[in-house]
Amino acid sequence: MLLSDKENSASKFFILTAVFWLVVGMTLGLTGAIEFVAPDASTGYGPLTFSRIRPAHVNTVAFGWLSMANIGIALYIVPTLTKVKLFNEKLANFVCILWNLAILAGIACLVHGYSEGREYAELPVPIDVVVLIGLLSLSYVIYMTVIHRKVKKLYVSLWYILGAFFWMPIVYFIGNRTFVRLDGLNDAIVNWFYGHNILGMWFTTLGVGIAYYMIPKLSGKPLWSHSLSMLGFWTIAFFYAPTGTHHILQAPVPEWLKALAVVFSVALVIPVITVLTNFFMTMKGSWWQLANNLPLRFVLTGALFYLFTCIQGPFQATRSINWYIHFTQWVPGHAHAALLGTFTFFNFGAIYYILPRILGRQFYSVGLAKAHYWFTFIGFNIFYFVFTVIGLIQASGWQQGMEVSQWSIALEPYWFYRAFGGALMWFGNVLFLINVFMTWRGAKPLDPPDEEPAMSVKRTGV
Amino acid sequence: MNKNYILPGFVILVSFSLIIFTTVLLPHFIFHPEPSEYAVEYTELEAKGRDIYRREGCVYCHSQFVRLQDRGFGPLVQAGDYVYDTPNLLGTIRTGPDLSNEGGKHPDAWHKAHFINPRTITPGSIMPPFVHLKEDDMEALIAYVQSLGKKRLKKYDRIYRPDEYVAKLEKRTVDVNSSAAANAGRGIFQQNCATCHGTHGLGNGPNAIALAKKPANFSRPFYKDYDDVTWFWRVSEGVPGTRMPQWRKKLTDEQMWYLVAFLKTLPRVNEVYPHSYETLEPDKWLEQLKASEAELNSEPKAMLIETKGPPPMAGGGH
Repeated sequence: MLLSDKENSASKFFILTAVFWLVVGMTLGLTGAIEFVAPDASTGYGPLTFSRIRPAHVNTVAFGWLSMANIGIALYIVPTLTKVKLFNEKLANFVCILWNLAILAGIACLVHGYSEGREYAELPVPIDVVVLIGLLSLSYVIYMTVIHRKVKKLYVSLWYILGAFFWMPIVYFIGNRTFVRLDGLNDAIVNWFYGHNILGMWFTTLGVGIAYYMIPKLSGKPLWSHSLSMLGFWTIAFFYAPTGTHHILQAPVPEWLKALAVVFSVALVIPVITVLTNFFMTMKGSWWQLANNLPLRFVLTGALFYLFTCIQGPFQATRSINWYIHFTQWVPGHAHAALLGTFTFFNFGAIYYILPRILGRQFYSVGLAKAHYWFTFIGFNIFYFVFTVIGLIQASGWQQGMEVSQWSIALEPYWFYRAFGGALMWFGNVLFLINVFMTWRGAKPLDPPDEEPAMSVKRTGV
Repeated sequence: MNKNYILPGFVILVSFSLIIFTTVLLPHFIFHPEPSEYAVEYTELEAKGRDIYRREGCVYCHSQFVRLQDRGFGPLVQAGDYVYDTPNLLGTIRTGPDLSNEGGKHPDAWHKAHFINPRTITPGSIMPPFVHLKEDDMEALIAYVQSLGKKRLKKYDRIYRPDEYVAKLEKRTVDVNSSAAANAGRGIFQQNCATCHGTHGLGNGPNAIALAKKPANFSRPFYKDYDDVTWFWRVSEGVPGTRMPQWRKKLTDEQMWYLVAFLKTLPRVNEVYPHSYETLEPDKWLEQLKASEAELNSEPKAMLIETKGPPPMAGGGH
């Protein structure tokens, strides 16, 4: 059963386990947020300390949830778009098992302090090797599937997915090269090349590729412009990679590297605008569908957050704005807007659409899915807004040259609001886990099949 | 393989390898800062402490670089400071203070108590307690934290004795008795000192009202006994326990000598202020000066100030 050759079995296992890791990762994040409100909660127990939980949270949601869900969805999209079976279903299933073990071991290592200490690259070396093997195997599977395809023309989603599976193994290898010892600042430069490109060349490319598939599919309208989507792809391929240094814009690294990072960061507006123009023009005349098409609502909410994040991003990478908001909670707010607000929402929409089609049965409950949407959406808005406000207060404190102890007390209510927003999201995603679990177990659906056509297998109008 | 994909594939490969070359390999080839005076070659204990710092994830709340716009964290860091820091612990978020100059700021016992329960030392702190650290781990961590910045802040913040300043007299390039120097010093005084000490140095600047220790009133006879070195030392080292800063951190020696030249010209208490310099008649000025001096010598009421100029308001000083 584990190494099954059944069609879409790898995709199914990736998605199901990803949803489990999502709730685990969010629980870790929520624990961290609560410890800001009650700092003595972890007294005497190391693994519960905020500073140990944070890397575990980041790695679980980044590699456990987002990467696995992206891979699962890509493993569904690629055979669908190429009209051919996945090249090696067994290998993909094997990678899924390997990856799950890696995440489990990774969380255990990180909370017990076995960390490499570089942001986003904290996982210890053996786990890095496992992840890299998994990535290379998946690249092999996906590239071979595309080579054996029956549809000649490559749809834009395939471009993005192929790009992601080309770049990610390279970026991951560079980011986790512990056998090459670099001096302090060179180490930081390479670290942030990796830290930013894992977002740009992996989460963004896969996420946008998924959205390119989901929006026309869910709205039933053809993509507005294929050439515009190609422009977006090539500009993201060219502009994203050198931007990492904008994370250390105030550190004493070479000026030319900083200038390069700022220029390319601002240039990232181009792919973002082209992608979003394409999305929104595709939706032209069909916005009414948001009222009764929940997966589409998820994807387009993600697209709106994408607009917000990716306009914010280039501007906060400029020196004058970075000067103010650097080092503050504004920045993790921005990171959450990208990974949680945008790509997680894309994945929610995609999972609500894909899972019934893989399992061959209707989603368990539309009500739970709607509750999931509103809890996550409202929770995220509170969460993101509070992050930004905290960031501005901190920035003001640093700019006035005040001691942290003088203004940190002013943040106390905001840490609480942040944990509150996080708790809402956490609750929404527990509902999601229940919903997915019941669907997987084959529980009798609570709603009639035409309640939410996209979430049932019967294609009525979708 | 379809020929249509050869060109795009080639473009991908070339552009991506070009980007990786410029952002990953090129810095590695051409960016090799020399170890600076403050680059720490860690001892065995400090290296162990650094491992614990990394293991406990301190880097997620504490940065290790002072930016240009940061004030009160000590001198700006340089590229050469980080030569021995692998893996880098620069940090991206400052939920707590920056630690690049933490060494020597607090005694070891302070750190230990702070690690065990941060809120006993800094109330309102949200740092998690690290009471779960073993005794030797704690010692290593303290040794590491004390090594940060090579205690440069301690050297930087040290208050020198006045007699250590006598040597400065020889190197002095400013004639403190010239009116030109005094005039240059006036501008520096108005920019930096007048907010507390007042435009006339009477200790009645707008900020004086907010200070528990009132700023000095330079018209008091006490200050007329200051010699050049004492003035210079006082300006340079500030007054511990008050808001008077160590001006050597901001001003150059030359600027401080100009300031001394100006401070020496400030009138003594009971001296007469002319309403404006245009109506000043030198003969009358000397008369008034003599009269007030006679008054001062006959009646020692130092704080009773009778002037025709702007009345001193707040102040008093030492």
